[in-house]
Amino acid sequence: MNEQELIQGLRNADETAFKYLVDTYKDRVFNTAIGIVQNAEDAEDVAQEVFIQVFRSIKDFKAESKLSTWIYRITTTRALDLLRSRKSKKRFGIIQRLFGEGNEPVHEIPDFNHPGVALDRKENAAKLFKAIAQLPENQKIAFTLHKLEDLSYQEVSEVMKTSVAAIESLMHRAKQNLRKILEKEKG
Amino acid sequence: MDIENNKKMEEILNSLDGCQRAGAPDFFYTRLKAKMEKGLEPSTAQSWVLRPVYAVAVLLVVLLINAVVIFNNNNSSFEEKASVDTEVFQSIAAEYKLNDNNTLYDLNQDK
Repeated sequence: MNEQELIQGLRNADETAFKYLVDTYKDRVFNTAIGIVQNAEDAEDVAQEVFIQVFRSIKDFKAESKLSTWIYRITTTRALDLLRSRKSKKRFGIIQRLFGEGNEPVHEIPDFNHPGVALDRKENAAKLFKAIAQLPENQKIAFTLHKLEDLSYQEVSEVMKTSVAAIESLMHRAKQNLRKILEKEKG
Repeated sequence: MDIENNKKMEEILNSLDGCQRAGAPDFFYTRLKAKMEKGLEPSTAQSWVLRPVYAVAVLLVVLLINAVVIFNNNNSSFEEKASVDTEVFQSIAAEYKLNDNNTLYDLNQDK
């Protein structure tokens, strides 16, 4: 099934086309989401929401970009939404505790181990993911798509709707910030 | 020392190089279909307004406003209310020219 047939099938609400879409993209979507939210259950939720959104809004897809680019864009948006909601819940939990409500302690997210990292690199990767979590949103997205999904700067720029030069600059700043964060964590 | 630190830093920064893609969990499609059939909205899109804690808070505010209004009404003096009432009655009577009926009223009194 080529991309045009797939899009047409999805527009006709054809279940075979939808299953083909999920089978083709589920790992890319899940891997991107897990890199950003750094939790397997949350990443699965994000991935499900992405496919639901793709199914519901395929009629609005104008095919100006590749289907994969559009799906990556939805994934990063959804993953960032989840991070924001997690942050606001954490803030609300702190306020509740100040007023004596909500006895549950506010949990810090434990170190994240990406399942695809080789065993001898797991310790370093956990440190890196902890630092990535502290990056500004656009640097986090650029770094994750390039490093985890192995997208080229050109592809990342299409997902983020910006120029290749802007991605180069984002990646440079992301690396600089990661160095600073890692230095601070160490010292 | 600096060289060793830099080397360590580079190792950390490059620790994702050659990383395998994390695969979606088993039965992903089955769970996705179940979620779609349930017609559930995505969890992040759920409105926080619908959470019970906010509903209870709004209810308490409404009850509090009611209590304040009732308390204030009970505290205002009877005279004050009576004078206000008289003024209102007089203005209504004037508006509908009810005061003209006084003569009829007087006749009745004479009986």
